[in-house]
Amino acid sequence: MTTDTPSTPLAPAGPLLARLRASLPGRILVRVLSAVVLLWAVATIVFFLQHLVPGDPALAILGGAAANPPPDAVAAVRAQYGFDQPLLVQYGHFLGGLLHGDLGDSYTMKEPVVAIIAEQIVPTLQLTAASLAIAWAIAIASTLLSAGRPGLLARIGSGLEVVLAALPDFWLGVVLLVVFAVTLRWLPVVDGGPAGLVLPALTLGVPLGGFLAQVTRDEFDAASRQPFVLSALSRGARLGDVRRRHILRHAALPGIALSGWGLGSLISGAVVVEVIFSRQGIGQVLVTAVTSQDLPLVIGVTFVVALVYVIANILTDIAAVAVDPRLRSSIGDAS
Amino acid sequence: MRSRPLLAPVAITAALAVLAGCGTADPSASLPPGTKKGGELVYASDREPTCLDPHNNGDMPQTYVARQYLDSLVSMKSDGSVVPWLATSWDVSKDGLTYDFHLKKGVEFTDGEPLDADAVVKNFEQIMDPATQSSTDLLYLKPYFEKARAVSEHTVRVTLKRPYSPLLTVLSQAFFGIESPKAMARGLEENCASPVGTGPFKVTEWKRNQEVVLERNDDYDSAPADAKHQGPAYLDKVTWRFLKDNTARFGALQSGKAQAIFNLPPESVPAAKADDRIDTQDFVHSGVPFALDFNTDSEQLADARVRRAVVHAADAPGIVESAYAGVFPYEGNALSTGTPDYDKTFHQPFPYDPEKAAKLLDEAGWTGRDAEGYRTKDGKTLTLRLPYASDPGETPPADLTILQNFQAMEKRAGIKVELQPQDAASMTAIKQDPDRYDVKGGYWNSPTPGVMYIKFSKETLDIDNGQNVSRDYDEELDSTLVKAAATTDPKAQQELYSTAQKILTSQAWHLPLYPVQTRLAVRSDQVAGIWVEPSEGEPVLHDAYLTRDGA
Repeated sequence: MTTDTPSTPLAPAGPLLARLRASLPGRILVRVLSAVVLLWAVATIVFFLQHLVPGDPALAILGGAAANPPPDAVAAVRAQYGFDQPLLVQYGHFLGGLLHGDLGDSYTMKEPVVAIIAEQIVPTLQLTAASLAIAWAIAIASTLLSAGRPGLLARIGSGLEVVLAALPDFWLGVVLLVVFAVTLRWLPVVDGGPAGLVLPALTLGVPLGGFLAQVTRDEFDAASRQPFVLSALSRGARLGDVRRRHILRHAALPGIALSGWGLGSLISGAVVVEVIFSRQGIGQVLVTAVTSQDLPLVIGVTFVVALVYVIANILTDIAAVAVDPRLRSSIGDAS
Repeated sequence: MRSRPLLAPVAITAALAVLAGCGTADPSASLPPGTKKGGELVYASDREPTCLDPHNNGDMPQTYVARQYLDSLVSMKSDGSVVPWLATSWDVSKDGLTYDFHLKKGVEFTDGEPLDADAVVKNFEQIMDPATQSSTDLLYLKPYFEKARAVSEHTVRVTLKRPYSPLLTVLSQAFFGIESPKAMARGLEENCASPVGTGPFKVTEWKRNQEVVLERNDDYDSAPADAKHQGPAYLDKVTWRFLKDNTARFGALQSGKAQAIFNLPPESVPAAKADDRIDTQDFVHSGVPFALDFNTDSEQLADARVRRAVVHAADAPGIVESAYAGVFPYEGNALSTGTPDYDKTFHQPFPYDPEKAAKLLDEAGWTGRDAEGYRTKDGKTLTLRLPYASDPGETPPADLTILQNFQAMEKRAGIKVELQPQDAASMTAIKQDPDRYDVKGGYWNSPTPGVMYIKFSKETLDIDNGQNVSRDYDEELDSTLVKAAATTDPKAQQELYSTAQKILTSQAWHLPLYPVQTRLAVRSDQVAGIWVEPSEGEPVLHDAYLTRDGA
C-alpha cells in the first residue's frame, strides 16, 4: 500500500544508521538489533535485581521459609546451580546460555523454561486479546453514543467511563464470578472453553475500556470542533456518518497509541484474573517465580513480556498508519 | 480521500457468545447401577506442588496428591500404630537399630517394574542423594538413617545410627511413598512431572497452573490394611484441579464442577453447613499447632518471666475465637489434639491473667513507661518484632487477624508488638537470621509426637537452619525425647511424651493457638467413600465412588 519511498531522515543518529534506515531490510535490521539490545538489557537488569533480593536461592529451591533442609543439602544445591561462584562468573554462564538460546531449567519446576512458557502463553494471549477487544468495544460504543452530544447524555457517558476505569480488577473479578457464575450460573465457575473466557476478559477489559473511552472522548470533543467537520456537514454528510467515519478516526489515535501499553499491562496484570478464574497463564508463573527466586523462569517470563511490548508497539504503529494516512510517510523513520 | 470502515467490527460477540450449556450434568448419570465402579471425579485443591515426586522438597501439596499414586511401606492409624501396606510385616531388633521389612509379593509398579527389596533400597538411596533436593524426608531420616540393603528378594533391612521408634509412622507418610527405580533413574526433571508408583492411580498428565490427571491403575492390588476395600479403585479417573481462589473453589463445589474440595474457606463454612448437598470432614493434623514462637536469643525474651508474661497477657482462646469465629478451636499445648500421645492436661497451661503478666514484667525489671504507655527498662521500650509473610496464601486473612489480636492484647500489658509484613524471600532470610525476629508464627505437621525433638532440641539448634525457632533447648526435655525414641513400648512412650509436653509447657517457648486442620467439603449427593488418613491428613480417593441409584 506504500508507493512513497521514505525520505532520508535528518539523522541525529549518524550516517550509518541513516543509511540503514533508508532501505526496508535496513529498517528491519535496526528494529531487530534494538530489540536484541533491549532483551539483553532486560536480562541483565533482572539478573542483578534478582541477586539483590534477600535470601538464598538454594533455600528457596529446597522449599523456602516452610522447609528445614539440613545444611549439607543446601550446600549441595548451591554447588549444583553454581550459587557458590562469584556473581560475575554466574552472569557469564547465564549470558553464555542466552547466546545459545538456552533459557535454562526452572529451579523450582525442574522443567525447561521454554517448555513452561510455551504451555502458559496461549491462554494469556487469548485473555489479553479478548480483553483488548472488549475494551475497544466499550470505548467506541461509549464515544459514539455520548461524546460531543449536548447535555445529560455526554455527562452520563463520561461519568460511566470514570466509574469503569476506576473499578479494581480483583474486586470486579470476584463480583462477576459470584453474580454470573456462582449465583446465576450463566457461565462456568471454572474452565468451560470459550464461555470460560467471558468473565476473565470482562474483568480486565472493562476498566481498560473505561480508560480508553475517556481518552478517546477528549480527543473526540476536540476533533468535533475542527473545520473539516463543518465542511463535511455542509457537503450534506449525515452527522452520524461524520461522527463515525471522520471524527472517530481522529479521536482513536491516542487510544491506539495507548493500546500498546495496554496490551503489556494486561499481560502483567493478568495474574489477578488468572487466580480468581483459575486459568493457566504466565502471570501466575511470573509471580510464583519471583517469590521463589526462580531466576531462569523470571528472566524467561520477563523476556516474553518485553517481547510483547515490542510487538505491541509495532502493531500500534501499523494500526495508527491504517487509521491516519498522514503518518504513512513518516512512520518508521523516527523510532 | 475515500473513507473506509474504521477498525474491523469489534468482537462484541466474544462477550455475548455461549451463554448456554453451563448446567452441570450429574457425573454419575450414565454409570451402570448396582456397582461402585466407574466415573470421573473432580477434586479441587488450593495449592499446587512444584514437583510431583514427594521425595523432592517435601511440601504439603506434594504429599496430598502423591497419596493417590504412591503406596508407602506401612499405613498409620490415628492412635499412632501402623498397619501393613507394601510391607506385610516387619521385625525390629531389640536395640531398635535394625528394621526388617517383608514386602508384599507380586506387586508391580505401573511401568511394569517389580516391587522388590532392591526397588525399596533405591528409594532410600534416591532420598539421601543430594541431587533429589529433599527437605522433609532428610529432616526425618538424616540424623538416624545408616543404610538400607536387600537381604532377600522381598526383605529390606534398614539400619539406623541410633534408635528411632517414630520411624514407622514417619515412613507411613506419602512423603516416603515408594517409587519405581526405573522411573527415578530418569532424573528429577522427568520424575517430577510423572512419578511412577504402585498406587491406585497413575499420573497421566500435568497441566501446570491447572490440573493433574490421574487414571485408575487397573492392576492395583496393594491397598493398605486399613483401606475400605482391596483391589483397584472405583473411579476411572480423577482430575486433581488447582483452584487457588477461595470463592472459585467453593463455587466449583456448589455448582457441581468439583465433587470435593480441599481447604473449605473458613468464610464459606456456614454456607457449606447450610447446604444439605455438602458434607464437611474436619481433620486435625498431628504435630505442633499454629503457634507464635519466642526467640530466646532476643534480649527481652531470654528472660522466661517475660515469655510467661506475654503468654498470660494474651487471651489466647479469645484471639482464636475472634479470628476464626469458632471454626477452628483453641489449642494451647505444644502438641495438637490429633497427635498420638497428646496429653490434655496441658490444653491451656497459661490462662489469661493480666495481673500475673504485670507482676512478671515488674519482676523482670520492665517497670518504666514511655510516652505511649509501653513498658521500659533502662530507657528501652519493651518491643517485640513479629515478621510475617505478606502473601495471603501464606498468611490468610484470619491468621492476620490473629496477629493483630495478639498485638492488641499485648499492648494492654504494655508490650509493643511490631507486625512486619515481609515478602517470601525475606521470610526465608529472616528464618535463618535470629537477629531479625523476636516472635514468629508457624506450625509443624508431623505424624509423631517426636516432632517436639525436631523443633525444640539441642541437636536441631546446632543444625542452625532456623528449625529450632525458639533457639533454646532443655537437657531434661532432650533426654526424655531420646528415651521415647529408644523404646517401642507404647505405654512407656506415652509417659515419656507426656513428661515432654510438661517440660515444654513450663519453658514458655511459644504461644500455641490452634491446631492445623484439613477441611474437606464433599458433594454428598454425588460422591461417597473419601476418607482422610491420619499421618499428614492426606485425602484417600482409592475408596471413593460416585453415588448412583442402586449403589
